[in-house]
Amino acid sequence: MRPGNFRTIAKREYLARLRSKGFWISTIALPIMMAAWAVLPSLMVAKARTSQKLAVVDRTHLVAELLQTALDDLARRTADQVSFNLEVVEPRVDAESQRADLDQRVLDEEIAAWVWIDPEMLAENRVEYHAESVSNFITQQALTGALSVAVQQVRLVESGYDPEIVAELSSTIDLDTVRISEGGSRAEGGLGGFALAFAVFMVLYMTTLIYGQQVMLGVLEEKSSRVVEVLLSTVDPIDLMAGKIAGIGLAGLTQIAIWIATAAVLTAPGVVAIMAFLPAGTELPTLSPILVLHFFLLFILGYFFYATFYAMIGSAFNNPQEAQQMASLAVIFVVLPWIFFLPILNDPDSTLAVVTSLIPIFTPFLMVLRIAVKMPPTWQILLGYFLTTAMCVGMIWLCARVYRVGILMYGKKPSLRELWRWVRYA
Amino acid sequence: MTPSLELQAVSKSFGDFTAVNEVSFAVPQGTIYGLLGPNGAGKTTTLRMIMDIIAPDSGLVLLNGHPRCRADLARVGYLPEERGLYRKMTVTDQLVFLAELHGIRRREALPAIESWLGRVELAEWGQRKVEELSKGMQQKIQLIGTVLHDPDLLILDEPFSGLDPINQGLFKDLLADYQRQGKTIIFSTHIMEQAEKLCDYICLVSQGRTILEGELPTMKRRLGGNSYRLVADGDLERIDKVNGVQQALFHDGSAKLLLEPDASGSEVLSELVGFLSVHEFRSQEPDLEEIFIKAVRDATR
Repeated sequence: MRPGNFRTIAKREYLARLRSKGFWISTIALPIMMAAWAVLPSLMVAKARTSQKLAVVDRTHLVAELLQTALDDLARRTADQVSFNLEVVEPRVDAESQRADLDQRVLDEEIAAWVWIDPEMLAENRVEYHAESVSNFITQQALTGALSVAVQQVRLVESGYDPEIVAELSSTIDLDTVRISEGGSRAEGGLGGFALAFAVFMVLYMTTLIYGQQVMLGVLEEKSSRVVEVLLSTVDPIDLMAGKIAGIGLAGLTQIAIWIATAAVLTAPGVVAIMAFLPAGTELPTLSPILVLHFFLLFILGYFFYATFYAMIGSAFNNPQEAQQMASLAVIFVVLPWIFFLPILNDPDSTLAVVTSLIPIFTPFLMVLRIAVKMPPTWQILLGYFLTTAMCVGMIWLCARVYRVGILMYGKKPSLRELWRWVRYA
Repeated sequence: MTPSLELQAVSKSFGDFTAVNEVSFAVPQGTIYGLLGPNGAGKTTTLRMIMDIIAPDSGLVLLNGHPRCRADLARVGYLPEERGLYRKMTVTDQLVFLAELHGIRRREALPAIESWLGRVELAEWGQRKVEELSKGMQQKIQLIGTVLHDPDLLILDEPFSGLDPINQGLFKDLLADYQRQGKTIIFSTHIMEQAEKLCDYICLVSQGRTILEGELPTMKRRLGGNSYRLVADGDLERIDKVNGVQQALFHDGSAKLLLEPDASGSEVLSELVGFLSVHEFRSQEPDLEEIFIKAVRDATR
């Protein structure tokens, strides 16, 4: 190791990245993309649901009115995200022909669905629901909730309670979600908490992989432009690899720092620029310093692991096409965290969450997710750090050996067996 | 005087293939030294081992009489056969980067870069990106990168391959200039005429082995052996039959006579004048190509 050379290489890599347009484009584009992912689907879903037209045939003549009240109440609570336009249809004597007519109206897309409330069925706690698609989970759940409220009220009144008192007593409860942490409780919207966890996981995941791949492309560039031999005449290959990884990693840290600073400004009290994008009443989560600290540490660890892996691949092959085949092996490790994302978000203390977040290749992504959702026990965090660091050291040892040989090898694409021979050569 | 560079029985194998087999040679200070051999003889591998880019399996590399260490190499300028620059960097940044790798600060490097760019008539191109330059311009930049840190020893791998005539001239001027300053230059080539014109010393390698090594004029005299140039009229067909003549090659009104190793020129001449009118008969130095072909043939025998 010659510190002078290491610094010179790292500085070149860092400045080359910061002077490229791609760096600044991705700095701006990624947050916009994430905001779009987070906000657009809910906007689209909301739009799809705004004018759900529902016909109701109430043969009890009791439920429909209360159902209307319950649905209005639901619409108010969800800021019109879940709302129904209720049409009360008088029951006809000929039930069969009325049902056929209603089916036809659904097919003509006059109404989205119809509900049949019959006293005999109601006695068995059942109501009929007819629609073209019966898999609309959110609509059905909302409707079931509203119907239950309405039917309960009807039954209470039938049992002799005062209708006004019944209405008063059966008002729905709203959950004000509050996250408990050691730093003290603070109110947080469910959606805001989810957004934070998603953003933290996503940013770490994307940056680790993007900058890891940058290392691979950088090594390939040096190899294919033949700069590498000039460099190797003055620089030890390990300095070259380490300098490259460090310089590109610093560029990654710079980008993350820009994002965090921007997020801190946007979510600062008084600045509510971001509020316009979120449903009304959502409390914005704030980035705690401890989360930011873990985020940086886990980025560094995760980046080191993937960057050395990608540097090895870059050195062993001749062009990006060849390298991509090998790099796609890494996809296996990279896709799995997504499978665990929701279960961990749902129950961050489950055995699954603890075990998967302690598997070194997943630790950077899954531990940061757990920290964002609920602070795990200290021993688990430390163990995660320890195992991941150990794995990084092993990876660097392995990759440095392949890199030394591969960087000067041109021509035939090496097989896995040849790569293993290179490891033993050095 | 201690040689500038010395190799002692250096070997390198890749798997079953022996690329360099116990190669030894010494490069005296202040000389231009040619490493000659056909493609695949092990020249590039030898130079790479000198530069510590690959490690020899056995043998020693000495710089100024000491086993060379990595830090010494900062005083060496190396131009690899495969050349390349970072395409997206500006010319000046690129050269500063190369200077910094040789332990020269940016502040000290900038004036030198400016003067070099002026010398190769690229003064206007300092702030342009490498990818905007023509191939010939990139070759000049690469050469500046090799000499920017004012090395004591220059190692050039096939320096003339792919160069346009203007840059070849530039390279030759530079070599002459360097030699005048008492610096040492080693270059490899497979083109014998070039080596013959430029080198003081040569080392011939073939299939990883040293075949011949030494000062070029001495070698020619020693290996020149029995070769004479003859201009004559008469029954030229009979020359072959003369005692001591191995072979006669006719070319443009003159003949080249290769004699048996122990045959004497004057005895052959006295026989020749018996049936020819001889206008010219003189001992001829062999060119490097002949020496080389002969040496390779002897070595494989």
